[in-house]
Formats: sequence, structure tokens, C-alpha cells
Amino acid sequence: MNRRAGGPARLADNADSERILSKDECDAIVRRVIGFAKGGGETKVQIQSWWNGELRWARNRVSLASDRRDLRMQVWRTVGVGRGNVSTNQLDDVSLEAAVRAAERAAMLAPQIMRPTPSGMPPIPHAERPKTAIWSDATYGATPETRGEVARGLIAPAETKGMLSAGYLEMRAGSLAYVSSERLADPYAPWDTPYVQWTQAQCSMTVRDQQGTGSGWAGLSSYDWGKIDAPALAARALQQCEASRNPVALEPGRYTVILEPQAVADLVEMLVGPREPTEDGYGPWALAYDEVLKLWRTKLGLKVVDERITISHDPADPQLGILPTPWMQPVTWIDKGVLTNMWYDREYALSMLHENAALRGMTGYRMSGGTTSVEEMIATTQRGLLVTRFSDIHGLDPRSGLATGLTRDGLWLIEHGKITKAVKNFRFTESPLFVLNAIEQLGPPVPVFRPVKNPYEQQEPLTPAIVPPLKARDFSFTSTIDAI
Amino acid sequence: MPITRRRFLEAGALAAAATALPRPLLAQIGRDPEPLPPIEDPRLKALAARALDAARAAGASYADVRLTHTRERLFFALFTHDGESLEVGVRALVDGYWGFASGPVWSPDELARLGREAVHQAKVNALGKPRVVDLPPVPVVANGHWDMPVAIDPFEISPLEVQDFLGSLGSYSARLPGVHQVNGATASATAQEKAFASTEGSYCTQRSWQMSGDFSVVLELEKPQKRAAFGLDCLTPAGMGWELFAAERIPRVRDHSLYEEIRRGVEETKADMLLPVKPVDVGRYDTVLDALSMASLVDGTLGRATELDRALGYEANAGGTSYLNDPLGMVGTYRAGAPSLTLTAERAEPGAAATVRWDDEGVAPDAFTLVKDGVLTDFQTTRESAGWMKDSYAKRGLPFRSHGCAGASTAIETPLQQAPNLTLAAGREAHDFESLVSGITTGMAIKGAGVDMDFQHSSGLGAGQVFEVKNGKRVAVIASAGFLFRSTELWKALHTVGGEASLRRYGMRTAKGEPAEYCYHSVTAAPAVVKELTLIDPLRKA
Repeated sequence: MNRRAGGPARLADNADSERILSKDECDAIVRRVIGFAKGGGETKVQIQSWWNGELRWARNRVSLASDRRDLRMQVWRTVGVGRGNVSTNQLDDVSLEAAVRAAERAAMLAPQIMRPTPSGMPPIPHAERPKTAIWSDATYGATPETRGEVARGLIAPAETKGMLSAGYLEMRAGSLAYVSSERLADPYAPWDTPYVQWTQAQCSMTVRDQQGTGSGWAGLSSYDWGKIDAPALAARALQQCEASRNPVALEPGRYTVILEPQAVADLVEMLVGPREPTEDGYGPWALAYDEVLKLWRTKLGLKVVDERITISHDPADPQLGILPTPWMQPVTWIDKGVLTNMWYDREYALSMLHENAALRGMTGYRMSGGTTSVEEMIATTQRGLLVTRFSDIHGLDPRSGLATGLTRDGLWLIEHGKITKAVKNFRFTESPLFVLNAIEQLGPPVPVFRPVKNPYEQQEPLTPAIVPPLKARDFSFTSTIDAI
Repeated sequence: MPITRRRFLEAGALAAAATALPRPLLAQIGRDPEPLPPIEDPRLKALAARALDAARAAGASYADVRLTHTRERLFFALFTHDGESLEVGVRALVDGYWGFASGPVWSPDELARLGREAVHQAKVNALGKPRVVDLPPVPVVANGHWDMPVAIDPFEISPLEVQDFLGSLGSYSARLPGVHQVNGATASATAQEKAFASTEGSYCTQRSWQMSGDFSVVLELEKPQKRAAFGLDCLTPAGMGWELFAAERIPRVRDHSLYEEIRRGVEETKADMLLPVKPVDVGRYDTVLDALSMASLVDGTLGRATELDRALGYEANAGGTSYLNDPLGMVGTYRAGAPSLTLTAERAEPGAAATVRWDDEGVAPDAFTLVKDGVLTDFQTTRESAGWMKDSYAKRGLPFRSHGCAGASTAIETPLQQAPNLTLAAGREAHDFESLVSGITTGMAIKGAGVDMDFQHSSGLGAGQVFEVKNGKRVAVIASAGFLFRSTELWKALHTVGGEASLRRYGMRTAKGEPAEYCYHSVTAAPAVVKELTLIDPLRKA
């Protein structure tokens, strides 16, 4: 299958379906929408299209296979000082014109509050279009037949051993254009997206025994289906299920932990999401107003974590598959333990930094690691716990980064360099900052499971991640939980 | 030749010249695109039939189709957002395997394509080992139509009127003593028209609404110097129109106008701010929980645990499983809580968020009891999952039927088992929150708790406003307090439940499946006393 220049690949055996909009189609829609505008002012148009090919299974049988598509055209009209915003998923001229008229009516009805005029702002800086690696023909070309065959292959080993497998396979693709009537051609503003198309793939599964005394999980996501070794995931989930059966309860307390890469990513997610400077001090290293000292404080330039830790992102990283976002550029957020960059917007940059720029992130990251394998970490541990992954994490205190969550799908006791028992799950109360300051050993970074919904609609950040396993001291587990 | 989106665009351009915009969207029901008719238009039945015919011809033993037309309008302080969309989804069953296909285009050819595609998706998997789907019989609905009874259609009133009202809540609050900052009011309205057709001969259409909003203020006291927030909890999602905001009172939601609710809430918050603050003294306490806390507990524990698909492992790789881990063995005998615990479910209560006439499988939902006097009696079901209970129902002499819990937010999404409206039965005596507090000698009282459950809904961490209670009075605020519980122990420790008059209904959102699908339902509960609840400091590390 060939990828056509300027447009998404078409599948010969599925010729009647246009699964996502091409650049030419988006351009035509943008021109029509802008052409419908009356009364001057700016028209901004965003067009999204997406396709999902999905397969779910449970109790060793496929429970649903689906092919779903949808669209969204969103228009913002500025008339005078009012703005109106309307969306539709219909692309005929009647619907598009009705949307523009509705946006104009809303703009005229909007409260007439003066906003800063563009003349007061410096000119929009020119944007370099970032190079990204986010399209995979292997993902777009995977057929329902492929998904069915893959799923049967993943279920079989678990069923043979009398276990229950449940899982999910997803391949999806989409396109996005976000254009202003004031900049229909280069130079674009850093927030314009003339056209981008993307793919995402994910595979994950949970294997449980019939009695529900053990549970194993494995999963991986990538823009490229070709980078996901599904049979290896199935083998791992099955092995972990078998090894996690009949867990014993341990006392809550502080334990040395070996966190598998997935557990590291689950925990570090609390730190790496977009962190804008806000009055509330959103996030442990954002600019925060200190109520006591009456000062704006930040940890910028300070050592915040272990010096072996560097966290960076590069839009062109072919392993990560980062989607283009406004103002994106390669950034090192933490350099050898020192906080070196923070997200800021253009208004903040103009007023506080006297720069005509912004820094956005992070929409994917790499975390540096070491050379110690998980096996070596186990072998060098007198007493500790091996954690597969975490679940249901949420923050308790934004300033310290303190969070709570659960261990899930495999927790084991290590004694004298060996795994000795499966352990009942714990609730933890811990700050990822504390963990990254209590590191004993680090392993080689690997990609982990970071599934995304429709990437451009999701409110939370999406952060494909490449992270290492690590061993850390004194991780705080506060109560046992019954769930397996 | 199937219509493609590009051809549809061309056709749309022609139709644009010919129509005078009575409604903004176009659909192709016959040969040409035309302004979208109301959902009752009988020609939509023929359109829906195209999908069913195509699925049947391609080999489906059963198929259904849903057409949805969804509108949303969001009101913020300075602007509004309007959205409108059309969706169609077709589901097909082949040899026990389900396939689904959906998209945004209503046209005869596209519906036929989706019918064929749904069968294709199912057939690919039917190559595998056999799978049995035993669908219970459903009375055929011939050309049924239902309009949700709402008093004021939020799309029929001027957005200016809505924004004016929201603004007036702010200016009213700003004049109340102690109010330091008004965070502003928002409102959100959706309206959906839906047509359902199945190869079993049912055809029905519905029109429903959902309304919700937010309003909060920050209070500041000088002596003692303190800040606190107050937010209305009577604007959670409801199957209502603009009356959710405009009505003087709404049974089970609020007893006063929104202005009066704000005034009372601000006064109550100020009174709470005057109480001394104490640190957490970890231990077990008899606790009074308010209606919102009880609704959160019901929803987070039994509400999720009695989803039959979840209990049997269909959500194992997503939201998790259930602590009711042997549903067929437990139903009818398992003691889920104290005798004072009765939990019922239905999708008929006017004003509730999951209320429908027919579910997404064309089933008219019934009222059913999940827990009766402490004993687990049933599970939430769809047609397929009711099949898993067939023997159990037969053994207990109960009818073999779906409880009508299939749902999805639009036809783009697959129907899944979603939560119905749930009600924790009120107690016999006419207690309310304050009278329950007055019965506690030493203990706690909790307002507005939210809960954080594990993936079997068995162990939870709750957090809300916690008060120390001495001799029947709230005497102190406990700073940074939370409570730990196990679902089984919590419901066995349920003591007194407030009376009928203290029942309150809250709209809640739940996620199901992969990718996660979100649906709304209501949970109605009264304040209650729980014995020996464990109070902790959630910020304290081990």
C-alpha cells in the first residue's frame, strides 16, 4: 500500500470509504467556511476527522469488533469585540454556512468586553513547522482480519492454560487542520496547523485465573503498529497472572521498590503534564505564589530530582511519535536533575520575560536511565517489592506532588535477591518527586503504554513516554486493598 | 454505487441554493439531501431499514441501527458554544459475534454500507471458536415515539436570557456578606433525537434533554481569617430543561429558588467556618454522611459492582472487575449489607439523568431491585448479559428479560451496559442530616464526600468536609481528613437511613469499555449513619 502525497493512504479493498480527510479536502472546506463569513473580522476554522478500527475481547472470546469514523468542523467568528464558536460534523454547504451564521449571531450577542487589540501586541513570530513522526502505514493498513487473527493468537495461550483473557486492540488515524482567515499561507503563526495526519495503535490485555486470585497485564501503544510485539505482551500478561496468584497480605509501610517502566511512567505522569504558571502553584515546579513570603517562587534552576535524571522531548523523535502542538520545539525540561525549563504562554512571556515567544509541553518525553536490568535490581535487593504498574493515581497536594493510587496486576515480595511471594495490592501515598530523589538503580529506558483518545480533543496531556525501570528507597504504602 | 463524502459535499452545495434554512443540517433520506426533518418523520424508518436489510443480506442473525441527532449548547460568562451533529451506528450479530460500524452521514447508501461493514466486522471474528449469545425476547415496539417531559426547552429560549440569569446569580451572590469572589456560573444543555430499529421489527424514536451547570463562590472571613469555597450541588446533570435553573423548587433536587439556595449555602458555610479546626485523630467513629456523600458511596461501590458484565470480567482490561466476583452464585443469597440496605434501579424517573422510554436495544427498562433488605437480588443487564442470568432467573421463577441498561452517548459509540438511575431506599423514620447528627454522642459528620475506589470497587478512600460531633452537635472541623472503607463492611455498618423527605438526587457520569464511553445516570440517596467508619489523614505517608 502506498501513501499518497498530500493525503492519507487509501485501501484498495475498502475503496468506497474515505476514512480521514485529506489535505486537499481540508483546504477546500476551510476556503468555503471563510467564504461564508459576513461582516469582516477573523474567522478561525478547525477541521478534524478520525477513524477507529477496534477489537475488544473478554473471557477468551472477541466481544466486539468495530469500525467507527467521525468529523468535527469548528468555527470561531470574531465580530467587533465579540466571539462566537460553533461546531458541526456535517460538511455540506448548508451546514457549514449555518454554523458560520450561528457563530456570527453568538459573536454579536456576546458581552461587549474590550479585549487587548492586536495593535498593542508585537507581530506574531514566524513558526518553523516542526518535523514529527506520527504516521504509520502499518497502523492505517491493519484490517479487521488482521485484528481478528492477532486477537485469536493472543487469547490462545491463556485459554490453553485455563486462564481468562480480556483485552483491546485499536488502530486509529486522524487529520487536523486549524487555520485563520488572516494567515491562509505561510508564514503561519505558531498555533496554526495547516494540515496534519496521524495514526495511533494500542494493544493491551489482562489475564486472570478462573477464581480471580491472580491478574497479569501487559500493554503497549505507539503511532506505529509495527513497533508493537503483541505476542510478547500476551506471554508477559499470562506469566504475570500465573505468578501473582494467591497473594499474601503484607503490613503497609515503607518499602524499597523496583518499579517496572510502566509503573515509572504511571507515577511520573503526575509531574510531566502541562504545567502553566498559575496563581495556585499548579504542579510542584510551576511558578507559585508563596502566601507566607508574599513572593512568586519557582524551582527553576534548582536541582529537583536525582542527577541521573534527564527529562526531554523532541518533536522529531521517531520512537515517541509526538503530535504537533503550538510552539513545539525540542526541550530539555530536567537536565541532570536540575529543572531547566517550564511551560509558559505568550502573554506571560511578553509581560514577564520580555520575549515574543512561548514554550509548550510536554506532549511526550524521554527519561534517562541506566544499565541495571530489572533482574539485577532484584538480585541486589535484600527486601523489597516489585511493582508492575499503578492504577487510579490522583494528586492530593499540588505543591509537593503528593499523590495516591493503587498497585495493580502483579506485586511481589523480594527477599535476599529473589522473588519469594505474590503480595496483595497496596494503596500508596507518595510524591513522585520523593521517588525520583530516592533512586538506587536505573535500567534501560523503553517505550510504555500511553494510550490516547482523540489526541486533539483530549483535555489531559497525552504523553507518549520512554522511561527506565528503577529501584527506589522508602516508598510509602499506606493501606492494603482487596482488589486483585 | 455507495455515496462518498465527497459526492455528498457536491450534492450539498446544490441543495444549499434551494433551501431556505428551516433547520441547519442536511440529511439524505430519499434521493437528494434535504433539511433534516424531526425524528418522528416516518420516512426515517425506511432509511433505518436500509442498514437492517443490508446487514440481513450479508448474513446477520440480528442487527440494529441507531440514528442520533445531537445538539449541545454551553454557556460561559463571556461566550457560548453551540454544537450540532448527526450520527448513525449499526450493530450486527453473526454466530454469536458482534460487529459495529458508525459514521456521521445519514444517507441510504451510507446506511447500507454500515450494515455490511458491521457484518464484516462480526464475521471476521466468527471464524474463531464458537460463542453463544442468548438474547431474551423483547416485545416489538411498532412505531413508538416518546418526548422526555421537560418544562422549558433550553434551545427554544434566547441565549441572552440564559446568560442574563447566570449573571444575576453572580451579582446576587456578590452582595451577600462574606462573599469574596464569584467564580461565575456556567450552564450546559444537550438535546438528542434518536431513532432505533431492529431486525426483530421494533422501530421507536425519542427526544430527550439533559441540563447541568456549575456555580461557586469563595468566602472570606476576617475573624478568624479564613477562606472557604461554596458550590451549588443541585445543578448536577438531570434529564430536564432550563427549569433545572429557573424553577422555584424541584422535588428531590432543591426546596428553594437558586438564589435562596445560594443564600442558605453561604450562611451554612460561614457558620462552619466559625467552628474551631482540629487535626485528625485517626480511629473509628460513628458517622453521619449527607445525601451527596451517600450517593457517591452507593455509586462507587454497589452501583459499579452490580454491573453484570463487569462482575463477569468484561471490563477486566478497562475499569476493572467487581467484588461481587461470583454473580451467579451470589445472587439471591449473598448478604451485601445491613437489613436497612435496599437499592433499586430504574430508567423511568422524571428528571433523572439516565431516564429513557426505550434503551439502546429497544427495550423498555423496568424497575428492579439490586439489593433487598441487605441481600443481593439482581444485576444490571443488557439483552446479551441477561442471557448469562437465564438459568438463575428460571430457577428463581423470575422473568427472562433485559433490565434495559444498554446505552451510549451518541450512535457513533457502541451500546454498552451503562448504569441506570439508582435509589438507596429511605428509612422509615423522618430523619434528616441534622436530626441524625443530633443522635450521635461522639462521632463524625461528613458533607459532600467523593470517593476513590479500587478496580474491584471493594476498597475505597473518601474525602469531604469532616466535622467532629459531640453530644449531637457539630463542634469542630477536622482539617485534611479522609476515610478508608471496604464496601462489604461499609454496607454492613449502615445503621439509620434518613426519611423520604431527605432524599436527594444527583447526576453522575461513569465510564465503560475501551475506548472509554461516558454516560450519565442519577443516584438518589438520603443522609445516613454508618457505624465505626475509619478516619485517617490522607496526606500522611507510611
